[in-house]
Amino acid sequence: MHAGTSTTHDTHAAHDHIHPAPEGFVQKYIFSLDHKVIGMQYFIFGLLVMLIAGSFAELVRLQLTDPKGAIMSHNAYNEMFTMHGTAMVWIVLIPLVTGAIGNFVMPLQIGARDVAFPWLNMVSFWIVPVSGVVLFSSMLFGGPHAGWTEYPPISLADGTAGALWCAAIFIVGISSTMTGMNFMVTMIKMRAPGMTWTRMPLFSWATFATALMNMVATVALSAATGALFLEHVFNVPFFDATRGGSAVLFEHMFWFYSHPAVYIFIIPAFGVVSEVLPTFARKPIFGYKLIAFSSMAIALLSFTVWAHHMFPSGLAPWLQLPFMILTYAIGIPTGVKMFSWVATIWGGRIHFTTSMLYALGFLITFTFGGITGIFLASVPVDLHMHGTYFVIGHFHYVVAGGAVMGFLAAIPYWYPKATGRMMSERLGVLGFWLFFIGLNGTFLPMHWLGLEGMPRRYASYVEFAAANPDAVFWNRFETAFSFLMAASIGLLAFNVIWSLKHGKIAGMNPWGARTLEWTISSPPPYYNFKKLPEVTGYPYDFGQPMPYANTDNDIEPYPEYGKTVMPTATPAAVGA
Amino acid sequence: MAQRIVPRPNEVRFQGLGPGFWQVTAVLVLLCLANAWYFLYGNIDWLMPSASNPASDRAMDVDGLFKFMAVFGNGIMILVAGYVIYFSIAFRARVGDAPDTIGRQVHDSPKLEFWWTVLPVVLLVVLTGLSINVWYKIQFGVAAPGLTAEVIGHQFYFEYRYPGLKTSVFSKTEAMHLPIGVPVRILITSADVIHQWFVPEFRLKMAAVPGLVQNLNFTPLRAGQYSIECTEFCGPDHSLMQGKLIVEPVAAFNKWLETEKASAAAGGGALVLTGGTADAGKALFTTKCAACHNNPPTPFDQKLVGPGLLHITNDPAHPNLVDGKPPTPENIGGIIHDGFTGDIGTMPNAQANGLAGKDIANLVAYLVSLK
Repeated sequence: MHAGTSTTHDTHAAHDHIHPAPEGFVQKYIFSLDHKVIGMQYFIFGLLVMLIAGSFAELVRLQLTDPKGAIMSHNAYNEMFTMHGTAMVWIVLIPLVTGAIGNFVMPLQIGARDVAFPWLNMVSFWIVPVSGVVLFSSMLFGGPHAGWTEYPPISLADGTAGALWCAAIFIVGISSTMTGMNFMVTMIKMRAPGMTWTRMPLFSWATFATALMNMVATVALSAATGALFLEHVFNVPFFDATRGGSAVLFEHMFWFYSHPAVYIFIIPAFGVVSEVLPTFARKPIFGYKLIAFSSMAIALLSFTVWAHHMFPSGLAPWLQLPFMILTYAIGIPTGVKMFSWVATIWGGRIHFTTSMLYALGFLITFTFGGITGIFLASVPVDLHMHGTYFVIGHFHYVVAGGAVMGFLAAIPYWYPKATGRMMSERLGVLGFWLFFIGLNGTFLPMHWLGLEGMPRRYASYVEFAAANPDAVFWNRFETAFSFLMAASIGLLAFNVIWSLKHGKIAGMNPWGARTLEWTISSPPPYYNFKKLPEVTGYPYDFGQPMPYANTDNDIEPYPEYGKTVMPTATPAAVGA
Repeated sequence: MAQRIVPRPNEVRFQGLGPGFWQVTAVLVLLCLANAWYFLYGNIDWLMPSASNPASDRAMDVDGLFKFMAVFGNGIMILVAGYVIYFSIAFRARVGDAPDTIGRQVHDSPKLEFWWTVLPVVLLVVLTGLSINVWYKIQFGVAAPGLTAEVIGHQFYFEYRYPGLKTSVFSKTEAMHLPIGVPVRILITSADVIHQWFVPEFRLKMAAVPGLVQNLNFTPLRAGQYSIECTEFCGPDHSLMQGKLIVEPVAAFNKWLETEKASAAAGGGALVLTGGTADAGKALFTTKCAACHNNPPTPFDQKLVGPGLLHITNDPAHPNLVDGKPPTPENIGGIIHDGFTGDIGTMPNAQANGLAGKDIANLVAYLVSLK
């Protein structure tokens, strides 16, 4: 092993100082420049909106317990699924996976004191609640109705609500783009001395690939929503075929962003799984380089597959072929990662913490969603499945069973680092089983309902139910199981709050993990590292001395899980 | 990089690839084979409607692809889920473990990684080939389909047009009819927003997009009544936009078509062309015709979806209208009233375009005024 030569620290001296501490409530907690506080702000806001958007989903599910539509008018139902999807994609998932976890963890993992542009980071967060207010205000004007994709011409019927929808998405896109740029510069310029790219932890690699997609793809969404806004407000006929525009153009612009967007959801989750599996199997990640580089391959390929969302929509026939082939191609790096993760737990010594359960569950549910994606990638098969419940089943398996499960694995894993307390393991394990069973019960039957032909975005399904007598049973089954997922998220929110006061005190390294964030106190000081540590090796070799020199604290040379959690503190000691 | 790490005393030890590895692998392989047998030979009608009694040739093709994917896709799922569960059990931490117990410190295995990359690539290459074959048949069909029918999407019904039939068939009141054993081409467009025409038992759908004409090619094989559904959100009553499709023997189909033609002839009125104004026609042209014909009108060869109409009455290169008739006001009005289907494409009739009253007279007055 050669000594780490650092190529990124010609300006080392300029970074090697600590900024003065923030003072006052506003500087510390409202307009904080600290990436850790900003990460927690994203987390709290994202979780709150997830509860709202999730409630809309439960209303959608309740409606479908009766084929005539159980509880609302068609218009109200259309508004519910539109707001559920829009809020979940742009106000919950995109901010949570990059803004919450990426912000909190990545600078710590690379041994930096903050991100490259902390003020920009703070602004990037505050843009999200503003965008959320604009989005939800659209419901005061009737709300948008045409799905989270809001295709024109039909979305033009949404009037003011449609214009507000465009504005909200445009605004949140600014946050994503700035965060992407911020993170990329941070990882290129501010890694600790000795941290070469091939010694960087895999969650940070995932954050890098995600930041690239965020930075490059979001402008297409801004163009699409900007143009649609101009059509709403100033009647510019971008998408009006009767006046020289093209309806399909919106779909191209929208999906050019929205396909990379789904990889933005999932690649951070891949990063979390790549950290959690080695830690709780007590062995190295299998195929580190393949996993790191496949994330980059997926990020690049993600820009080439967008029109697989448009196979029946208005493509020149020959154009369907390259998109089909590239969509198959992007399945290869994804599949290779999955096999590497399974090989990671082979021969391990597995501890079933809440995080590990979510990571193991992810391996099963994400694979299922990925396979149904391969079905959809074939043009002829997609011409049957597009627009049916099969697609809804597919994307919820990869989003809820993939991205959200990764997020749920990350929370109990890094919560001790953020707060100095462990989350309740009992509530966590219960929450996992509720979520896992609820997810499979809700979304598995959608696959056969979809193959039978049940269309999506239907507020009532009288004719389908008449032709398929089992449709009502399965819809009710799905609704019942969806409440298990809702209970799980509710339990998570409770656990987050309860553990702040009652969780076991956490030490520096409760999991016996090996990345840099576990070499500083829980919670870390605002400046993270008093001395920038030196990295002497790659992070996933268990049973070896930790590969760091010049660390702030004395770190366990061979961190051991099971010995590193501090005993429950007595009330007197907590205040000390 | 596979570093040479000295095994530490606390590293877990086990025989071969793990306790019971080969037995579990045998069970998983058997499950994969059972899955393959089920999809290839079993009855999957509960999953893919009428798979055992295909409604069309394309349905057979798509089901074949689906079965191929189910064999391999489900197989991969069985292996991944099976090994995750087995490894979780076989390699779990035991209660008596020392806290410093670690797993086998393996970094990679180039041979394993090679095979689990190459084999999926081979699978996907095969799948691509099989998919392209079916894709071609759907998009291009046979050179001369026996029947070309049109579907026009509206909020919230489908309109069907047949060759030689001057009026349209509307899904609100009647079923669409197709003949058995005849290669059919369906041309699809929309009069307002984006819709999708979907027949689950045919395994086919295509979007009705304003300003575009798309096509599907298939041969119905089995008599029966099928559901047509709209599968692209198109407004408040999207959930109520369905139709019926009746597939019947050729003789019965022809008889149905003759009945339709007879009632159309009985109901048709004389074409009124007096009293039209060019200005009203110009405004109408912008809203009704500009989706397919360039506006302002252009020479014939500058097409949009349909030809440019600038010199419709006096183009030396195209002295007659597209149906071969001389460009008199009556004949121009005739095409607007009846629509047109030919090599150049398809133009919806007046009913489809929502033209009523003096609209045709106004349009004819405008077109005749162009020079």
